[in-house]
Amino acid sequence: MAKKILIIDDDPDVVMAIRMPLESAGYEVQDAHSQDSGLAAVEDFKPDLIILDVMMDTHTAGFQLAQKLHGPAAKEEHKAIPIVMVTAVHQTTPLRFGPDDDYLPVEGFIDKPIDPKTLLGEIEKLLK
Amino acid sequence: MVVNGGSMATDSTQDSTHTRGLQPTFEELCQNTQLLIQLRWVAGLGILFATLFTRYGLAIELRTLPLLLIGLLVLSYNSILFFACREEDKSLPRIQRVAWGQVILDWLAMIALVHFTGGITSPTLIYFVIHAALSGTILLPWQTRRLILLAIVIVGGLAWLERAGTLPHVTISDLGLAEDLYKNTTYIFAVMAFFGSTVFVLSELVTRNAQRLRQREQHIRELYEARSTFVRVATHELRAPLGAALSLMRNIEQGYAGELSPQQAGILSRVTSRLEGLSTLVDDLLTLARIREASTAHAPLKPDSVRTNLDKIIEQERPHAEQKQITLHCDLDHAPGIVMAGNVGLNIIFGNLINNAIKYTPEGGDVTIDYTVLREQGQARVSVTDTGIGIPADDLPNVFSEFFRAKNAKRAQITGTGIGLSTVYALVQRYNGEITLESVEGQGTTIIVTLPLTPHQTPAKSADDEM
Repeated sequence: MAKKILIIDDDPDVVMAIRMPLESAGYEVQDAHSQDSGLAAVEDFKPDLIILDVMMDTHTAGFQLAQKLHGPAAKEEHKAIPIVMVTAVHQTTPLRFGPDDDYLPVEGFIDKPIDPKTLLGEIEKLLK
Repeated sequence: MVVNGGSMATDSTQDSTHTRGLQPTFEELCQNTQLLIQLRWVAGLGILFATLFTRYGLAIELRTLPLLLIGLLVLSYNSILFFACREEDKSLPRIQRVAWGQVILDWLAMIALVHFTGGITSPTLIYFVIHAALSGTILLPWQTRRLILLAIVIVGGLAWLERAGTLPHVTISDLGLAEDLYKNTTYIFAVMAFFGSTVFVLSELVTRNAQRLRQREQHIRELYEARSTFVRVATHELRAPLGAALSLMRNIEQGYAGELSPQQAGILSRVTSRLEGLSTLVDDLLTLARIREASTAHAPLKPDSVRTNLDKIIEQERPHAEQKQITLHCDLDHAPGIVMAGNVGLNIIFGNLINNAIKYTPEGGDVTIDYTVLREQGQARVSVTDTGIGIPADDLPNVFSEFFRAKNAKRAQITGTGIGLSTVYALVQRYNGEITLESVEGQGTTIIVTLPLTPHQTPAKSADDEM
């Protein structure tokens, strides 16, 4: 059965750019455009992996959602779903972080602009 | 989590602006206090010297002992102030206390000096003018006004007590003044009127000018903050559509949206390359805005580790090197190499150097990063060497200029804006470091950055202890 991937990003063009390579690689893809709808989709769609944007309705919506899904108070079933964070912040703000930093509980990062090959490589690695 | 912005705590000062005036900033108080301490060494020694010279050189009758004691007292409380200023605790309330303390001590010493050199008839009375001006530079207007009022009351009181005989009057007969001048009420009132008005007017002028300067400084600070906020917001807004457009382009280029004719592919590749150029420009502008922000006076330098920053950047740049089959050779000292730097300064410096080295090195080349702690010189030294396109000799003098790009880089159509190296140069200068660049066109470039280590870095400490 195809693995399920949920994209949470409020930019429809970015969603499209992520969706294309994922679908052609055979993943089942769904998208959500805000923190709340994203959280609802995690419950309904039960994805195997989440691709999450940092800046949505607020500059830190992605961080907050990552905390809700993987933070100390999160449900065990949510903690098991790997999160890949899509961000341009990674390169250019004073907030430097890598997946090892425990205050940002995500499994991987992918930089904008998104390179389809890199994206697929990262996802394959996490879904192994 | 909030991106560290420029909005500094100006609220508290703003409140008091309208009612009581702008507080001198910490830096201003420190500078003025240190200046006063230097002046006071001269003043204390001056009292000792002038007393001895007047007494024994000019053979004028003086109350030598009390005057020498005042001189010594000034020198001794100045020593205490000197050490109080050097203490670790450099907080604003503390330096404010030191500032107040020294003003009070100076005024007491001054009044004693006036008393022992003839009270209301003393030629030293004129020195109060200096004190009035000085207190205007370090205290708030209302504080200065009260202090001046207090000085007038004390000097007037001193004159009155001497006149009434409650305090013994010291007469310096060699001055040739009338013996009972100090008892002359008209004289006392005349001196007090001119003395009082002079110190009052002078201190008003000084405090008002100091206030105006402070207001201007605050205004400039606010402008800076507004500007960097604007640039930050604008750049984010610019980056989002660029990121989305480039992401879609990559999908087309990699064939996820179907086959393209060679002509279509050619056009799209041109579009992509223009978008990439724009994206680099936006990134560099954001970096520049951050540096401007970080280099304003109220963003003090903090200890940061060279090693930690290098590790992060190498980790981050490795994929870019791998994409171009460039081998990264890293020879890194274990010591953390703590230097004083701005918020993300080290990250920007080494990030730019390593990123440039990879960018300007053709496929299959080498980039060598060497980090050494030179303990004896107290420096951290980082060199980045590449086997890239190098820089033409006649372009070398300009490499650190803003927006400058070498001819061969433009010819090779490598995207760049010429902000990177000028930024690195400005930051290294700000951190009291040095940067040198050697390059041979077609062979490669070596850039060496040395930064002064903070004192007390015990050589025995391993990197892991501190990271």
